[in-house]
Amino acid sequence: MRRRTTLPLLTVATVGASLFVAVAPASAHGYISSPPSRQANCARGAVANCGDIIYEPQSVEAPKGSTQCNGGGSRFAVLNDNSRNWPAASVGSSVTFNWVLTARHSTSTWEYFIGGTRLASFNDGGAQPGATKSHTVSMGGFTGRQTVLARWNIADTVNAFYSCVDVNIGGGGGNPPPTTPPPTTPPTQPTTPPPTTQPPAGGTWRAGTAYSPGNVVTYGGASYSCRQAHTALAGWEPPNVPALWSRI
Amino acid sequence: MRRLATALLMLITLAGCAADPAQPPPPAFNSTDVMFLQMSLDYIRQGEQVVALAGPRATNPRVRTLINELGGQWQSEAATMGRWLTGWQQPPSADPAAGAHAGHGDLHSLRPADIAELEAARGADFDRTAVSLLLGHLHNCVEVTRMEVAGGQYPPAKALAETMTTQRQSQIQAMLALAA
Repeated sequence: MRRRTTLPLLTVATVGASLFVAVAPASAHGYISSPPSRQANCARGAVANCGDIIYEPQSVEAPKGSTQCNGGGSRFAVLNDNSRNWPAASVGSSVTFNWVLTARHSTSTWEYFIGGTRLASFNDGGAQPGATKSHTVSMGGFTGRQTVLARWNIADTVNAFYSCVDVNIGGGGGNPPPTTPPPTTPPTQPTTPPPTTQPPAGGTWRAGTAYSPGNVVTYGGASYSCRQAHTALAGWEPPNVPALWSRI
Repeated sequence: MRRLATALLMLITLAGCAADPAQPPPPAFNSTDVMFLQMSLDYIRQGEQVVALAGPRATNPRVRTLINELGGQWQSEAATMGRWLTGWQQPPSADPAAGAHAGHGDLHSLRPADIAELEAARGADFDRTAVSLLLGHLHNCVEVTRMEVAGGQYPPAKALAETMTTQRQSQIQAMLALAA
């Protein structure tokens, strides 16, 4: 009798352990969807060959305090790879970051950094987030292409969730570039090279490029003007998506 | 933790059956199959509340189209899942007792408060909330379908899980593009 109960229990333990491994990604909780974080760009196919992160962009969980896009460690190291052609969203001097949450953990703080500079911290005092979570953060005088590191610090665990968002500050934002040169003040010499992700005027439409209203592209021999800010995906060629492009 | 507890409970049940020589051979499904079906049915029931609200109300036609497509797929998936569970004489839900979703499991679910927040949102904010809620929800759905692909036993359920993974991932891609 004793034997007959021991074996099933052992089986339970073994299969239970292997099941636990299968279910382990359930620790997943959240990431920034807009402007798209690096994991969001992987999940939506704007950057290829990212590995398993495409199935769980919400899982970039690691001990608090890291300054790396993957939170440190070896998992999801692709997120730290600056040589990947991460699309940079054109933004203004302040940016609203929107999170997608898959589990609404009680939260201590949400922090935003560029380099070693903390741009903002929001203290939730242990509250559970609601249906959506957004923060509007000043870019603190930074310009050009930058990588914003966001940390969601969980109140009741040692961990945080990490999201890096590539932005191009002053790269057009939601407003089309002015058609007339600005009046009196002479343009100041930019301290950073011109942003690389800004599509050249009249260039050919290309998937993976971030477009802003007023941008003009050519596709299939015709010219199109961008109607709303977006990052182009295959299948979103201008003639296919009148909501995004109008033919000139 | 609740998931693990449920899984262990299932395993104990199954292991108990297998150990008894008087019983027929073990069924062609395992506890992962059952957990996949029960959890997916739960998720579908939660997600259908968003579909019912946002299908008609979303202002962006692309959001409406996506949501209605998802609703149609969920409907047919739920019918199949219910049929399998009934055939296996398994309950349609892991634990029908009230409060069963308290604790950690609840964190991965759409709460009534989330649905209420969506209902109260207006205009562009409504679409943004719907897309954000569905993105989070679909990521949770995909976790369960991937668990089934990795650990399930019943071939038709594994095939369904593979199809669901592919469809949900493409819906996630489209929604992320809309959210960007």
